[in-house]
Amino acid sequence: MNSSRSNVNKMGNKAGYLMSLPYVLYFFLFIGFPLVFSFILIFHRWNIVTPMQWIGLRNFYRLFHDVQFFISIRNTLVFLVIHIPLQIIIALILALLLNQRIRLKGFFRALYFLPVVVSGVVITILWQQLYAYETGLLNLLMTKLGITKIPWLINTNWAMPSIAIMATWKNVGLYIVLFLVGLQGIPRYLYEAAEIDGAKPIQQFFHITLPALNSTMVLVVILSTIGGFSLFIEPFVMTGGGPINSTLSAMLYIYNQAFYFGHMGYAATLGFFFAFIILMVVLIQKKFVERKD
Amino acid sequence: MIHNKAIITFLLLVGAFLVSCDKVRTAQTAGEQNAARLTYWCASNQDEINLAQELVDKWNRERPEIQVTLQPIPASQSSEEALLAAIAGKTTPDICSNMWPGAMDDFTSSGGLVRLDQFPDFMEYLQKRMPAELLESFRAPDRHYYQIPWKTNPIMVMYNKKMYREAGITQPIRTYSEYLSAAAKITRDVNGDARIDQWMGYRDIRPIWWQRLFDYYTFYIAASGGATLFDSTDIAFENAASVEVFRFFSAIYKNGYYPLTTFQGDAFLAGQVATQFTGPWNITHVENFKAPGFEYGIAPIPVPDDYTGLVYTYGDHKNISIFSTTKFPSAAWQFAKYLISAQADLRLLEICSQIPLRKNLTTDPLYREYFRDNPLMMQFAEQAPYTRGVDGSSVLKEIFDAISQEYEACAVYNKRIPEEAVANAAKRARVIVAWSHR
Repeated sequence: MNSSRSNVNKMGNKAGYLMSLPYVLYFFLFIGFPLVFSFILIFHRWNIVTPMQWIGLRNFYRLFHDVQFFISIRNTLVFLVIHIPLQIIIALILALLLNQRIRLKGFFRALYFLPVVVSGVVITILWQQLYAYETGLLNLLMTKLGITKIPWLINTNWAMPSIAIMATWKNVGLYIVLFLVGLQGIPRYLYEAAEIDGAKPIQQFFHITLPALNSTMVLVVILSTIGGFSLFIEPFVMTGGGPINSTLSAMLYIYNQAFYFGHMGYAATLGFFFAFIILMVVLIQKKFVERKD
Repeated sequence: MIHNKAIITFLLLVGAFLVSCDKVRTAQTAGEQNAARLTYWCASNQDEINLAQELVDKWNRERPEIQVTLQPIPASQSSEEALLAAIAGKTTPDICSNMWPGAMDDFTSSGGLVRLDQFPDFMEYLQKRMPAELLESFRAPDRHYYQIPWKTNPIMVMYNKKMYREAGITQPIRTYSEYLSAAAKITRDVNGDARIDQWMGYRDIRPIWWQRLFDYYTFYIAASGGATLFDSTDIAFENAASVEVFRFFSAIYKNGYYPLTTFQGDAFLAGQVATQFTGPWNITHVENFKAPGFEYGIAPIPVPDDYTGLVYTYGDHKNISIFSTTKFPSAAWQFAKYLISAQADLRLLEICSQIPLRKNLTTDPLYREYFRDNPLMMQFAEQAPYTRGVDGSSVLKEIFDAISQEYEACAVYNKRIPEEAVANAAKRARVIVAWSHR
């Protein structure tokens, strides 16, 4: 009896190993190996075609003297400061509306989710044309309404907020879905009890809805922070990092170093340093947003 | 059971058929068993693919001992990226005809290219084909040749004749003052909706390094009488010519003569801009897509008002190289000579509207008829001897990036004066060079 059970266990183990093999292979090939290789690159100069050259910690020396890299980090943080609150507020408002008993609920959910599944490059080119200073639709409408044109993408103060607005429009559908899931998980009796106690809708929102959405909020904040840190397509296509480096994101800068200039070692150093910053920011956010109770 | 037997019989039949096909094919190609087999990568635009296909087909018919397979350069952001990836992956072709001289340093330092002057007739063949001074400019720092100078696309001004006429401009524009004065007349609201809808020109203002090849660098070569960014190994663009170019473009953007919009589509053909800086390849495009009655002309790049002498421009050269992974370097050299033969050069003109790097091009009887029928191409051909390429430097892209940053700050957004912007770009370029030597 014991022997047959042991055989079954062994067979089960084999099947388990076999089934996890594809992911294990994928992990080592596309995550583990690149990660280890990138770490080795940190101490080298390499442009893909010539042999690697050991340069010790010189890439770090360069990093700490690289003004443009720190500008790109500052720009990324500026983007996050605009994008995350904007995204959370809009997504939450729309989720609250879509959580009501309204007509065409499914249609509106699909409508808001549509930009999430459309190619980022397509959306970026579309918005680039909408934002165009002289010929764009937005400025055309503003001129017709007698409002002064806005230099959306050609002014250092406007360019990053413009990109943040576009990114919010593209991604908000995803966060609406997450908030909807959270909202539908809040027990109805809490609202009924609050109503009996005389709580107004605004009080219900702040004392029931928002605390109950805490775990969703943590998820949304972390996901949108990580997504925001990987800001790349929008400045790459729309502005090339301009005007005057105001939309140069850290990812775009790392990409330029690696694939325009062939500084693979330096790009790897920047990548690791940037990953460390992301980790720190996410840990701090988690500490502040997450409630223990 | 019957079902299984039917499947097995079917598979056996298919197998037998495939084996017999292979035998037929083997018999057919027995004569080509000893043929050298070359893979040839050409540029991926349709005109060059058409040219390459025609040349390869003819070659394969006439030279059974060297058989060539054509493949356009794999899709990538640039040919250089695809070639670098191929070198890294050891999947390079035997021969490629889209080599940008600015990327040669990467290719040669990796040992990826065959030294061409090892072939006994290389110098003689090339010296017959092109001016010695121009040939010399393609020599690598180690004094050897790794590229066969093939073609050039001199950047010149293409202008809309109707828009010029309407603005009262009767003579081709030669100087910065003339250009700015014409721009003041041409840039205007045409349909009366209180919005400017016609400009003197358009350039992509994004700080992308290679965009500067077609504005700052082209104008710098013209203003400096043919100088490039380096003088031997030193940075040499911190001079009055650079400052003049920055000041010129600064005046253009300050006065709104170029829009700050990023256009999708061809603003020149759409009649939104009067001028563009372009090479002869664009003639085919304009001819194919122009509206009926669309008239255009070609003129040299404008120069500072006090400039005297010949007007040089950026040549945008593309050359041919043989990769060191080839098993048949001599056969590849034979094929390369065929690609730059007089007859192949004629087809390059006819199919691609690009200028072969050939001396006496405009007087050679072989090309006389072509240039008689294509007078605009004649202007590009006459400009061709007065072109400059780019310096062969591994940090060239970064230096152009440094220039691009300052160009944007000074010319496009008027945040810096030209002298300061040029000095900043040169300072940054020196740091880049110093870093690369550490």
